[in-house]
Amino acid sequence: MFTPLLDAMIVFTTATPLIGLVGQRIKQPKIVKAYAMFALIFSLVLIPIYYFELLKEKVILVVYGGSPPPNGVLVTVDMLSIFMASIYLVIGATSALFTFREIERGNITGYYTILLGMTTAMIGIVFSGDLFSLFIFWEIMCVSSYALVAFRKERWESIEASYKYLIMSVAGSITILFALSFLYGLAGTLNIAYLSVSLTEAGENPLMYIALLMLIVGFGLQAGMAPFHTWLPDAHMAAPSPVSAILSGVMVKTGVYGFIRVLLLIFTVFYGAWQLTLATFAVLTMFTGNLMALLQDDIKRLLAYSTIANIGYILLGFSIGSIRALTGSLFHILNHAVLKALLFLCAGAFIYRTRTRSLKELAGIRRTMPITGTIFIIAVISLAGIPPLNFFWSEMMIVMATAEAGMPYLSLLMILNLMLSAVYCLRLIQMTLLKETTSISKKAKEAPATMLTAILTLGFLCILIGIYPAPFQTFAETAAEAALNLKGYTEGAIPP
Amino acid sequence: MTLLPIAYYMACSTVLFFIGLYCLIVKRNMIRLLMALEIMLNAANLNFIVLSGYHATGFVHPLAHVFTIISIGIGGCIIALGLVITIYAYRHYGTLDVRELRRLKH
Repeated sequence: MFTPLLDAMIVFTTATPLIGLVGQRIKQPKIVKAYAMFALIFSLVLIPIYYFELLKEKVILVVYGGSPPPNGVLVTVDMLSIFMASIYLVIGATSALFTFREIERGNITGYYTILLGMTTAMIGIVFSGDLFSLFIFWEIMCVSSYALVAFRKERWESIEASYKYLIMSVAGSITILFALSFLYGLAGTLNIAYLSVSLTEAGENPLMYIALLMLIVGFGLQAGMAPFHTWLPDAHMAAPSPVSAILSGVMVKTGVYGFIRVLLLIFTVFYGAWQLTLATFAVLTMFTGNLMALLQDDIKRLLAYSTIANIGYILLGFSIGSIRALTGSLFHILNHAVLKALLFLCAGAFIYRTRTRSLKELAGIRRTMPITGTIFIIAVISLAGIPPLNFFWSEMMIVMATAEAGMPYLSLLMILNLMLSAVYCLRLIQMTLLKETTSISKKAKEAPATMLTAILTLGFLCILIGIYPAPFQTFAETAAEAALNLKGYTEGAIPP
Repeated sequence: MTLLPIAYYMACSTVLFFIGLYCLIVKRNMIRLLMALEIMLNAANLNFIVLSGYHATGFVHPLAHVFTIISIGIGGCIIALGLVITIYAYRHYGTLDVRELRRLKH
């Protein structure tokens, strides 16, 4: 039907409730957890097949059902899609593993169904070759994430955060839909490759500017861009910790993916118009995130503001538009996904043992939870951008590429922000490592084995990227080349 | 057959969109906010339908209709989930006033 990876994920997702039912009948309700892990790892194994096929040709094109392009819907897979999909699956699998102990009672089957559905929808977004299916997968992702944020419905904070998130995010999605209707009116199709060709030839049109503005607002809202970021700290704070890891690690990146696809392929002629807008938003986002993170006492809220700041770095690299800057941006997406998921999972392990999110009460936690605490501190050192760990490489790439592109002021602003982020990182280290234990953190025990496995996996990945960045950087570079290769994409995606 | 100029229809859907946006900003009732979202969604759908009729005189382009039907279904899902969350919010807070939902900001 679609392409094998997407097919497999859809089948796995729809079969999850059945597996849950069977598990309850045979008095083994935990079977659904193993099943979800199996589904995600099986899909991850399929990724290299696409990778090796894409080394030979630019774009894999699958036309399914109904009418042929430009009217029908289709799947196009290029290197950028594979890059994003592999990140989604790795973070999804570790979060699912972490959830084994985090959510033990209640509706386990429902949780895993929504989690798998969200991962499927994100893969669908990066695999879709037209804006029609992109929008539908986008909405599936959004609806799943509202449900996951509100998953602990007996707590008022989850409900409040989910309601705020729903109202803001749906308004953003509708703005995207309105922009799509203008693009459709101008070109008579929603196929990205055809839109790219026909709108590049057509030149400027006032409707294009309206559509561009609306798309920046819509995708920016999902990415947590500065004036529209207010949903993000609430949602990350109130959601269960593995869900926070997925939201922060990969879901906000789909907004960035939307930017990369739509702005680079469809609005190439308007480069002058969106470059400065996006750079301004990026700087605003960095400052908002870093300054607000300095003021927080809640550990998850602090990490959420740090996510906003990092989205700012990614958008800055993307708005420069050179291949080096985009490589830095994509590499930072990978690094940030791994690192922020790791930080949220460590915070989740602390919260699981102590039932508090306050940094003051978590002081000295490393003494009672040595392994989790040590990994947490390594991750925080990486977040501060200290050289032998993964964040340093991508941040340096973005700063250097910005300076090379003739915008030294922007790179100066980014360096200022990196210093600000180091301040709250030092505070985190001081709180967890140096302070005396409180009455709450004294009683904590080491995290359970499954949680530790998830944390150690991501921690290993984080150190590995730090000391041996070359293969990951090359992967990001091929993805950036594919994203910037307009001609290759349109030739591959328009059947002869 | 002569058609009305497309600008009238597009102005209509844009006005509808802004009515929804106004309602989203000004109103306090949680259910009214969901209705505002529904108005905005319908404005976007209407714009699709309008633009599908103007590619060739006397014909409509089917893609927009397919998309709009699916988009209406998606809108139903979103509003249903929103109402479920509203019910839980009412149970927790005892009110439908959205300004009461600010406990998270310390």
